[in-house]
Amino acid sequence: MNSFLLISMILAAMLALSLYLPLMAGQLSLASPGFYALGGYIAAVMSTKYFVVTGPFPVLYLLAEMAAAGAACGVLALVVGIPALRLRGIYLALATIAFVEILRVLSLNLEITGGAVGIFGIPQPFSDRGSYLWIAIPLLLLSMGFIYRLERIRTGRAFAAIREDELAAAAMGISPTFNKVLAFMLGAILAGVVGALSAHVLNTWNARQGTFDSSINYLAYVLIGGSRTFVGPVVGGMALTALPELLRALADVGGLPVWLAEFLRNGRLIIFGVLIALGTVFFPQGMVTPELLARLFGRRLRRAEQVASTQPVDHGAQRR
Amino acid sequence: MPPTWEMTEEEIRARRVPVDEQRVLDVRHMTRQFGGLLAVSNVSFVVEKGEIFGLIGPNGAGKTTLFNLITGLIQPTSGQLYFRGEEYTGQRPHYIAQKGIARTFQNIRLFGSLSALENVKIARHTHTFGGIFGLIAGVLNLPPAPEDERKTTARAMELLEMVGLAERAHVQARNFAYGDQRRLEIARALALEPRLLLLDEPAAGMNAQEKQGLSDFIRMLRDKFSITILLIEHHVPLVMGLCDRIAVLDFGQLIALGDPRRVQHDPAVIEAYLGDEG
Ligand SMILES: Nc1ncnc2c1ncn2[C@@H]1O[C@H](COP(=O)(O)OP(=O)(O)OP(=O)(O)O)[C@@H](O)[C@H]1O
Ligand SMILES: [Mg+2]
Repeated sequence: MNSFLLISMILAAMLALSLYLPLMAGQLSLASPGFYALGGYIAAVMSTKYFVVTGPFPVLYLLAEMAAAGAACGVLALVVGIPALRLRGIYLALATIAFVEILRVLSLNLEITGGAVGIFGIPQPFSDRGSYLWIAIPLLLLSMGFIYRLERIRTGRAFAAIREDELAAAAMGISPTFNKVLAFMLGAILAGVVGALSAHVLNTWNARQGTFDSSINYLAYVLIGGSRTFVGPVVGGMALTALPELLRALADVGGLPVWLAEFLRNGRLIIFGVLIALGTVFFPQGMVTPELLARLFGRRLRRAEQVASTQPVDHGAQRR
Repeated sequence: MPPTWEMTEEEIRARRVPVDEQRVLDVRHMTRQFGGLLAVSNVSFVVEKGEIFGLIGPNGAGKTTLFNLITGLIQPTSGQLYFRGEEYTGQRPHYIAQKGIARTFQNIRLFGSLSALENVKIARHTHTFGGIFGLIAGVLNLPPAPEDERKTTARAMELLEMVGLAERAHVQARNFAYGDQRRLEIARALALEPRLLLLDEPAAGMNAQEKQGLSDFIRMLRDKFSITILLIEHHVPLVMGLCDRIAVLDFGQLIALGDPRRVQHDPAVIEAYLGDEG
């Protein structure tokens, strides 16, 4: 497997996680591409205008850009999140798509972002692209570790409570606004950091990064991967990024009818759409569910499941 | 609402309450309109510390609406609310819960796909170290997070033990039988360490034996946690045997208030219930 594909898969996994974070608090936000784009522009501008060096670009500068991008996106998320998170469900999703559009149009028209042309020649810290894995892999592990811990502590429990029943959570002393904005900010920070790294990986940054299409892609990663555990988005992001390459490789196998080979090469969006449709019918929980993980890895959860299955279930008492 | 300049001296004086912890809950002229419907109409009463206070009335009398007003889930059209002498009208639900008013719901609202233990741990929210620093300490498992987490689990298990659900702590809340869900909701509300506990029809769906046990259980809660309890209940024998005082609502209005025996023989109350049946 070539290293560029591997890096793309890791970046996709993290972008899927950036969508999963607000979803932990029950908020369907599609704003990640906006923060991703902003993070990329911050890195592109900093590295081409301020951190001008001769020789290879210092990794320390790259890390500083990632930190700056994360911080800027966190602040912007706070400002945007407080009013936007008053909206619920599909209205929030629409508002965040509008936010992504606004950022895109802005970047097309501002001078500092290079207008429609974008920013070229973003300096490279490594002589080969594969070395970016030394940053991408630890970053993915770090974000997975963060979310793993988050789900086991007070803040993560508050998010889960709001996702389950916002009103009941408030009646238990949990501030819905504070926690929803916090979850939104965490997602934005991650998307911004990934954007900064991507700008260097791709070497160029323009308004085609972070569009409505990407919102749908990231959503597909989460829905197909599974939205009930953070492993789902990681698997979904990686699998769906690898899928087009796989299809292309298939298309190159000799002996296929021309139309099929052509479809395998260019029908990516159609195939994604069909996958989402089939997935929601046959795997409404996505590929990876907490139960699946428990069966594969956990013992404690498995025991809990057994206890659950021996309990009499009173269907009259179920709310949903 | 705090006093404003438009009020006369007299009005301000009338609304000033001495900080009086004896009056745990003071409901004043509570009114809530839904379109043309007066669901709660000019209701005033005081719940004293340590009381078990019953709220009864026919279906649709406005009992649950009054609970929602007291816990801030809906806002009053007019009227004021005081908790331990302090006005809190218009505050948001999570603030009111943090102040010490916890509740259960008539149509059970557990966090269905989370375990019983998680349900109770969630309600320890205000008693654990939080904010951004709490988040960082928690993720890195640095002090005080590990100790906090251990205590939270221990306290939650204690409460589950008390309601008899400790063995099934890891079972998803939605898989519990009706009566067990009601008890889990009580354990969750108690995890807040409230001063005032609001129970909305805790006996609904329980059998006669469970109902008898419930009386003793509620009395035990009051004594063990030294809390004040306000409860809505349809089952008249339970209310009569358990409550120190009773308020009766009918069509949103308070039609009787006093000790159970007097209320039971109040002509207006008899009229309301007979009218309901007829
Ligand atoms: N959100 C709402 N919007 C409109 N009307 C409402 C709302 N909530 C309650 N009502 C109405 O207010 C009235 C009082 O309802 P409430 O639920 O408080 O009665 P209740 O005394 O708790 O009755 P029950 O014994 O059946 O639980 C009812 O007529 C109800 O239809
Ligand atoms: Mg009711």
